[in-house]
Amino acid sequence: MTTISYSDARYPIRPDFAQAHSRFWESLARPGAWWTGAERVAIAREARAAPQCRLCLAARAALSPAAVTGKHDRVSDLPETAVDAVHRIVTDAARLSPSWYRKRIESGLSDGHYVEIVGIVVALSSVDAFCRAMGVPLPPLPEPVAGEPSGYRPARLVSDEGWVPMVPPDNAGTVEADLWPSGRTGNVIRAMSLVPDAVRTLKDLSAVHYLANENVRKAGVDRGGALTRSQMELLAGRVSALNRCYY
Amino acid sequence: MLRESSRTHEESVDFAVLMDGDGESGVPHGAKLLRFAEAVVSGSAADRDTARRALAGAMGAEALVDAAGVISNFERMVRIADATGISIGPMSEEDHALVRELGIDRFAPTT
Repeated sequence: MTTISYSDARYPIRPDFAQAHSRFWESLARPGAWWTGAERVAIAREARAAPQCRLCLAARAALSPAAVTGKHDRVSDLPETAVDAVHRIVTDAARLSPSWYRKRIESGLSDGHYVEIVGIVVALSSVDAFCRAMGVPLPPLPEPVAGEPSGYRPARLVSDEGWVPMVPPDNAGTVEADLWPSGRTGNVIRAMSLVPDAVRTLKDLSAVHYLANENVRKAGVDRGGALTRSQMELLAGRVSALNRCYY
Repeated sequence: MLRESSRTHEESVDFAVLMDGDGESGVPHGAKLLRFAEAVVSGSAADRDTARRALAGAMGAEALVDAAGVISNFERMVRIADATGISIGPMSEEDHALVRELGIDRFAPTT
């Protein structure tokens, strides 16, 4: 297992960051629901390479990303449609569309494979962005653990609030009851629930980076750190605007 | 949530800075926080270094780390929303008005 340490950082970093990031690293290396450990680490490698991909740079500069064709500068042997999903989520997420998603599915990526890609890419994006913010080197990706994906798919799924199927808000009495308090959660938490472990990673990282999920909608609650809640939300809002995120 | 937290803490916040990145937000140390966020999301290594030093100098290392945590958290959350096409859910009239006022509607997902 790769243990991440930020003990050499110029500014002291509280240890729960390294602990949470190490837990994600450990899960990244293991087989998931739809991808092997080696494939999961390859997805992370593609995510780190995407900002330098010439096709992605050209697509991002174009009025419409669909106007640019070609092949990605890949660093793995993942299927092309998976590489495209990883690169686009990293480099141009705000211009993803339902039709783009449908093409990914029609070209052989299952919805489970896709959501697991989203889970890996977004978790990695927060670890890497944190390192950039603090001026510390990106931790090397973990060595994959052998094994087969579980193929786990929640028994109850609905297609109601997004492109991908999700566990319904009322999750009481199900295997997914730990993901959120039944009936009370936002779509951004439900979004990846087709792959429940992706939501568990999200909760784990969010509790350290921002707030525990149960406190997010309580406007008066801060994390008891050095920032007020308004300072935290100012940062959150500006990051969303810079990323052209409607949500 | 900025609107709700500013009400809770009885602060007067100018939401336009979320879109512009400039001006007085009304949030203590807001300008340095915004500059740090911009440097992390779209700046160079030198931009980040400058913004990091400025923020740590004004608010201390603990605040710098907390800010890095929040910024990197939302680098994740925006991608989840964009990559899964989730709906924003029911919005109040006040929400709609703020979306129009700030021009957030231009970020609405394409079909």
